[in-house]
Amino acid sequence: MYLRRILLLLMASSTFYAKGQLSGSLETNAALYVDDSKIKLEQIEARNRLRSNSYFRLDYKLNNLTAGVQFESYEPKALLNYSPRLNKTNLGNYYLNYKNDKLKLDVTVGHFYGQFGSGLVFRSWEDRQLGIANSVVGGMVKFSPLESVHLTGLYGKQRNGLGFDFSDGVVGGINGDAEISSLLKIKKVKFGLGLSYVNRNEVVTDLSSLNNNTYLTSLRGDFSAGGFSADWEYAFKSKDALVEFNNLRPDLQFDGDAYLINLGFTKKGFGVTANLRRSENFGFYSQRNLSGNVYNEGFLNYVPALTKQYDYALTNIYVYAAQPNISFEPNRNKAGEIGGQFDIFYQFKKHTPLGGKFGTNISLNYAQWHGLSGKYDALNRKYEAPKLAFGQKYYQDISLEIRKKWSSKWSSVVTYLNQYYNIRFVEEAVGEVKANTIVIDNTLRFNKSKSIRCELQHQWAEGGFDNWAAAQVEFNFNAVWSVFALDLYNFGNTEQAKRLHFYNFGTSYNKGACRITASYGRQRGGLICVGGVCRFVPQSVGFNLGVNLSF
Amino acid sequence: MTKFFSLALVSFFSFHSLLAQEIPDVKLATLDGNNFQTQKFNESVGKLVVLSFWATWCIPCINELSVINDNLEGWHEKLAFDLYAISEDDSRTTKRVQPLINGKGWSMPILLDKNQDLKRALNIASIPYTVVVKNGKIIFRHLGYVVGDENQLYKIIQDNQ
Repeated sequence: MYLRRILLLLMASSTFYAKGQLSGSLETNAALYVDDSKIKLEQIEARNRLRSNSYFRLDYKLNNLTAGVQFESYEPKALLNYSPRLNKTNLGNYYLNYKNDKLKLDVTVGHFYGQFGSGLVFRSWEDRQLGIANSVVGGMVKFSPLESVHLTGLYGKQRNGLGFDFSDGVVGGINGDAEISSLLKIKKVKFGLGLSYVNRNEVVTDLSSLNNNTYLTSLRGDFSAGGFSADWEYAFKSKDALVEFNNLRPDLQFDGDAYLINLGFTKKGFGVTANLRRSENFGFYSQRNLSGNVYNEGFLNYVPALTKQYDYALTNIYVYAAQPNISFEPNRNKAGEIGGQFDIFYQFKKHTPLGGKFGTNISLNYAQWHGLSGKYDALNRKYEAPKLAFGQKYYQDISLEIRKKWSSKWSSVVTYLNQYYNIRFVEEAVGEVKANTIVIDNTLRFNKSKSIRCELQHQWAEGGFDNWAAAQVEFNFNAVWSVFALDLYNFGNTEQAKRLHFYNFGTSYNKGACRITASYGRQRGGLICVGGVCRFVPQSVGFNLGVNLSF
Repeated sequence: MTKFFSLALVSFFSFHSLLAQEIPDVKLATLDGNNFQTQKFNESVGKLVVLSFWATWCIPCINELSVINDNLEGWHEKLAFDLYAISEDDSRTTKRVQPLINGKGWSMPILLDKNQDLKRALNIASIPYTVVVKNGKIIFRHLGYVVGDENQLYKIIQDNQ
């Protein structure tokens, strides 16, 4: 009834206001989990073998006003390992926005997404694959008093689950960015400053010793001239109680901070960058007891892993996730992380010995991350960490990617990746891994729309899952239909029973803004990571159907 | 759940052909740090605007833009259009955009959609994604990239001159 009423209302309003415009999208990911001889669902999960996550969104714009609503449906139950808060069908979010270019004003009430600076002190966004939908519900005002001065103010609670399931904490924030060089009418160099303040007010009635307010503040600047660019950010977090195993410890309060420096130089055919960061106790959640939760709920800020994000199956087995939080445990004390990454991009020009007829592209990445070295007292929950001391190594990788077009019909991407991954500290489990991975990705084009893509991958690893091999073939009949088959084989696993093939085959239909995929196969258990944020999924086997439509 | 899907499907069939859409006005950034309002795409009269959504970590996106870049000069000689590559990199990878495009020698203008505001406003579920705008209305949308899609894009641009 409830949905029908909204639908009628929408249809009526759109007919009435024929001048406005409506847009929307539908996304469904459904799975039918079946058991095979090797992989079985856990008993508790096996009660619901058919599951789906669906999102339906409508936006209506009329002159300066835009209104939107997103319904979400997790029926009969959400896909494996999504938050239990995502359950049944309900409103996901809704908003009304007023925008006036003459007044340089943009006002939203309802749910909104936003980011201050690099996101270190505030970011709200949606990532359906990871189950992140941390919009803030309340109001946001953006105003530009001058062409190069931008101000934002926001206030509200964060969305946790569906409907009216909001965080306990109330968030208030202000942000200002000024392009100083434009204000001073300087043309040759560019520089600017930014300042943010975000406060979370969460009242914990039975803990009077705890300050209800915790804030994050950031000061940042940027500079660029010619091909050179540099920016920096310093952010501070006020004292907040430690959360251990969901228990608030008001007797243990720590402040935190983060330093970020990005440097880059680039000219045609060449680019180099460095990103350096140190963060200490810098996780920030809209509700204290969500600290470190496994479902990625309640994030108020974004501390991404500054490592290269890979796109091939075997290069995504050991993915580093940033470690900004404090935890005490003998021999596994953590208070943050320090490290950086470097990138070089280079193009060998056409008609040179290494460039050949079509040119060759290479990119090189190096990343290394450590814990904070210092004096830790796990028993009394105390620590002291100097600013520039590298502790236990958490992660390191070196990768080289070569892209080469051999002829008008044939092109290749070759990737080599060398990794060190410290499971003990990153996943808080046991062991460490050293891995070398090679991926050879070839595309052969038969005619204007028919092509075949073939991926061969191999990983030599000590520790973790040990050796893997993988192959994928994708055949594109035309721009609309394609079929694929892939197999990941963990042939080197030290446990005989875990030497499994994770095969998958399926088809996809792609026309305009409509994409439908259907597949059957086994899902490797482990972490699925996007943007340095990860979600754990258990092993499973089944049929999958995905539908994506937008208009 | 049935209600959910009936709502979704009825809406699609009722509205799909009814309303040609404009590009929503969202603030993006240029590589040299200036603001760029997407309203500008709607104001291009008589010249098509092609938007290609990509990210530094998305291999099919890079494949697509590499092929487009190889053909771009030839296409521009014959047809009138402006092509923008809109990066969906967030603060984890946004610093990699400029050196990557220079390292690859791409010549198209790049815009940054750092918190995916335009992607969300256009209801784009995943990238690569291509949008073609003619006289302020979206006339073509395409999700994904397989070899040969660039020929389809060329044909769309050609047919709408």
